[in-house]
Amino acid sequence: MKFQIEDVTVYFPYDHIYPEQYSYMTELKRTLDAKGHCLLEMPSGTGKTIALLSLITSYSLSKPQSPMKLIYCTRTVHEMEKTLAELKILHNYQIKHLGPQARILAIGLSSRKNLCVNPTVVAAENRDSVDAGCRKLTASWVRALAAENPDETTCEFFENYEKAASAAVLPPGVYTLQELRAFGKEKGWCPYFLARHMVQFANVVVYSYQYLLDPKVAGIISKEMQKESVVVFDEAHNIDNVCIEALSVSVRRQTLEGATRNLSRISQEIDRFKATDASLLRAEYNRLVEGLALRGNLPITDNWLSNPALPDDILKEAVPGNIRRAEHFLHVLRRLVQYLSSRLDTENVEKESPVGFVASLSNAGIHQKTLKFCYDRLHSLMLTLEITDTDEFLHIQTICDFATLVGTYGRGFSIIIEPFDERMPHIPDPVLQLSCHDASLAIKPVFDRFQSVVITSGTLSPIDLYPRLLNFHPVVSRSFTMSLTRDCICPMVLTRGSDQLPVSTKFDMRSDPGVVRNYGKLLLEMVSVVPDGIVCFFVSYSYMDGIINTWNDSGILKEIMQHKLVFIETQDVVETTLALDNYRRACDCGRGAVFFSVARGKVAEGIDFDRHYGRLVIMIGVPFQYTLSKILLARLEYLRDTFQIKEGDFLTFDALRQAAQCVGRVIRSKADYGMMIFADKRYSRHDKRSKLPNWILSHLQDANLNLSTDMALHIAREFLKKMAQPYDKTGSSDKKTLLSQEELEKLGDGSMHEMSY
Amino acid sequence: MKNGAGRRINGGAEEDDDEDDVNGDLDAWERTYTDERSWESLQEDESGMLRPIDNQALYHSQYRRRLRSLSSTAARIQKGLIRYLYIVIDLSRAASEMDFRPSRIAVIAKHVETFIREFFYQNPLSQVGIVTIKDGVAHCLTDIGGSPESHINALMKKLECSGDSSLQNALDLVDGYLNQIPSYGHREVLILYSALSTCDPGDIIDTIQKCRKSKIRCSVIGLAAEMFICKHLCQETGGTYSVALDESHFKELILEHAPPPPAIAEFAVANLIKMGFPQRAAEGSISICSCHKEAKVGAGYTCPRCKARACELPTECRVCGLTLVSSPHLARSYHHLFPIAPFDEVTSSHLNNPNCKLQRNCFGCQQSLLDPGNKPGPAVVCPKCKRYFCLDCDIYIHESLHNCPGCDSLRHS
Repeated sequence: MKFQIEDVTVYFPYDHIYPEQYSYMTELKRTLDAKGHCLLEMPSGTGKTIALLSLITSYSLSKPQSPMKLIYCTRTVHEMEKTLAELKILHNYQIKHLGPQARILAIGLSSRKNLCVNPTVVAAENRDSVDAGCRKLTASWVRALAAENPDETTCEFFENYEKAASAAVLPPGVYTLQELRAFGKEKGWCPYFLARHMVQFANVVVYSYQYLLDPKVAGIISKEMQKESVVVFDEAHNIDNVCIEALSVSVRRQTLEGATRNLSRISQEIDRFKATDASLLRAEYNRLVEGLALRGNLPITDNWLSNPALPDDILKEAVPGNIRRAEHFLHVLRRLVQYLSSRLDTENVEKESPVGFVASLSNAGIHQKTLKFCYDRLHSLMLTLEITDTDEFLHIQTICDFATLVGTYGRGFSIIIEPFDERMPHIPDPVLQLSCHDASLAIKPVFDRFQSVVITSGTLSPIDLYPRLLNFHPVVSRSFTMSLTRDCICPMVLTRGSDQLPVSTKFDMRSDPGVVRNYGKLLLEMVSVVPDGIVCFFVSYSYMDGIINTWNDSGILKEIMQHKLVFIETQDVVETTLALDNYRRACDCGRGAVFFSVARGKVAEGIDFDRHYGRLVIMIGVPFQYTLSKILLARLEYLRDTFQIKEGDFLTFDALRQAAQCVGRVIRSKADYGMMIFADKRYSRHDKRSKLPNWILSHLQDANLNLSTDMALHIAREFLKKMAQPYDKTGSSDKKTLLSQEELEKLGDGSMHEMSY
Repeated sequence: MKNGAGRRINGGAEEDDDEDDVNGDLDAWERTYTDERSWESLQEDESGMLRPIDNQALYHSQYRRRLRSLSSTAARIQKGLIRYLYIVIDLSRAASEMDFRPSRIAVIAKHVETFIREFFYQNPLSQVGIVTIKDGVAHCLTDIGGSPESHINALMKKLECSGDSSLQNALDLVDGYLNQIPSYGHREVLILYSALSTCDPGDIIDTIQKCRKSKIRCSVIGLAAEMFICKHLCQETGGTYSVALDESHFKELILEHAPPPPAIAEFAVANLIKMGFPQRAAEGSISICSCHKEAKVGAGYTCPRCKARACELPTECRVCGLTLVSSPHLARSYHHLFPIAPFDEVTSSHLNNPNCKLQRNCFGCQQSLLDPGNKPGPAVVCPKCKRYFCLDCDIYIHESLHNCPGCDSLRHS
């Protein structure tokens, strides 16, 4: 269908549209007009992706004089493929209506592991070895050697791509990763380098968060994006954590040992070069004297991860004299590794600011400026030494990462040394962590560089906290609810067990046998009235292990198994995948199953339990972070001092967004239905509850705020019966949930607005 | 004024908190009432008076939707009048639950009885058998046959529930029986399922495909909640799946299966079936009855081919296997083939229109179509004769009468 939003004609590939999609597009359009940033919360299952894509592409079609680029960031490769598939439908529709002028180029960009078509390279098991395998075949000196000596192997796909040179372009269209690989295979061009090249010209680029947020990757991939771009972060409820991880480094004993090995290998290489070809080292020295602005003229394949610090903070100066010579630089690194390992020998937990750490390093003879240049200097050295198996050198890279970050930033970070994991105090496992506390650091360049940044997800509540955490000013921040033909979600807060005693996972209550038994009874009762799949989330692995053991001893688990099979998430990915697979099969064949999982785990973040795979989700307890963690404490302190966010507020916010994520897994479309039980007495308190997203809150009736097990059981029975009845999908006349083109036009702008509020 | 109101609200909130605390230790007698929640079946009307929740309108709209969906697909289609139906009753642990009063199984048994009678009334040429699932095993309770009494008696004797339920075992068993049915008969299974899971020995998906291949139409009525596998089964085999809200809804759902469903396309070939129309024996004549194997006096039917005596019609002759029916039975099946069109709903403005003042009353029962407040109430109109009817008459005409009084009176005059 085709309709107007103010002055933009929107092309929407489906015949019907949800009212909330329409208001979502309206808000988005205002953001684009204002060239500002926005925060939009809309529940999953309401077609966020297609609304975003169709508005932004239509917007740039309607303004041909100022073409706009769309950069769409997703969390996983799977989501990337889904987005591109949607875009394809949209693109076909636009071409049908507008003809060839609507043609755009849209590509997805991922790592070599996902894009490589060379069978020998892609066979490697992990990402780093694929990268290294590729470098072994495509590095400039390898190719130079191969030119002289035909026995040397190179990658034919890359050679063909190089030969085609400027002729190697993608014709306009939408390419999923799969199609990109197919195209590369057919033409004999390397799809990875082709995609990286085409990113500058594409109208729509879909890639992962790291390509924009992690300065190491962003420096080479996203450097040349124009300012007139719209950046979309989808499923962005955890964006602050991604930002923080991008700038955090942790160093363990193994890292240091590995780094020492790497250093001795480098020194052997230096000796070898000195003996054979000393001129190369001398040339490097001269280059360093002139400054490090050398990246621009490097061949594309030699390009490596760039500096871990943000682009604005990198000094455009010559490298300090004391590390220009390779041997000297090696000495500095050795001293650094030694110093770090002496720090790791501590018996107590230590916390230090980067400034203090740098000061004590100066006593050891390494100066701040030297530290700052470590990463670039190492990079330059490895290029000079023609080292291709970069995956072997990850350890020394981590050390240099660390050094550069410590040297560059004085604020927003802290260094924490822990001699052992607090939960297992008798196993020594010293770790030195440079942890970033300020999420706004990593995302600041993105806000500064691009015209509009859209942050969207199903759970962004409370929506006013994100601008403070990320330190920006959105022009629009709105939360939309779902328009439903029937009340297909049924959230409940369960505060008491069947014996009327309160249940909670509060620290002083969680091991109380009464509470454990009440949770068991709750599950047991629910298992007997809910069909097919039930998902049960716990607050942590250790709590889950404990409670399942107790249930097993008291026979509750056995009784549960009479009704449904039980599957458990573990920290092992393979095991969990297998468990999930069997869980789905048990739901399919009618046996019914329960899946025990952990909030903040892999399952809670990425796996959908829609339709019969999840008719009920029970959130046992409030998933607070481990509050004794030193890193968390340091971050809380920083947030309080810098952004005036109270510790309690942040912790509750973080716990509730995790809880909302967990329970949000059950509803993935409007035709679906599901129940959510928040089983903890703390959820009935207003300060906790009000932080849940609007679309859950609006269905949380007052009567369901303070339930005991038997009352919840009664409600569940009634709800499931009600939902099993046939219903009218388009909604009755006074409560439209699907709008056709005529209805949309008839309603006009004014009344649409009232509906959305 | 405002402050006072605000304080009162606050005071109320505090009181609520106190009550919540008290709620924690309810007395036993109080708890029984929290279970019942009898107050939920009441609602306030405009003037603040209490009245029971008006489910009438809801039921009626649902009924009309069903009617419409049936007629939209069933415009002049062939119907299977000779049906072979197996009723599968789940007697697993879940059937003994008490959420239906007195228990699920008692309710099921009661309504299966009415269903069997209604079924034979509407489908005199069809036959029924009963299968039960208990302890994960399916048993054949009665063989397929045409006598309602024998099925009902057999069922009432065996109502103990225990163990798990297995959909696959039941389907396998029924599939084996129904495969021997002659090709003109329509194979159907009606499953009354209480359990929320099925413990199967093998892959149930295969069994469902097998049923689909042997053209068995499987329908399920659930008593607790929607199950994926049941929905899948019904979708694959062309049956209907419904879940009962309460006892009256359950009755409605099970009776929906009494009228014959549309025939599956592959079966829609004309077929001749041999039938006998027996004569009623003379009063006072004594003969040995072939069904009860004892001498009976009078009021029996004699098979035209072998002269054996049968007590009831319709049936199959025990001696020569001829289908015995009477002509009213055939006539009763007739209306399924020519249903009356569903009536259209009348908008209230139309009813207020002074031009059609004549039709202020229902043509069926002559009751006024206006509400007590002289506002127009809900009404329907027959698309052919344009007579107005009230909702009760609408249901009566479509479900029992099968003739439109308006159209019939037009024809007479």
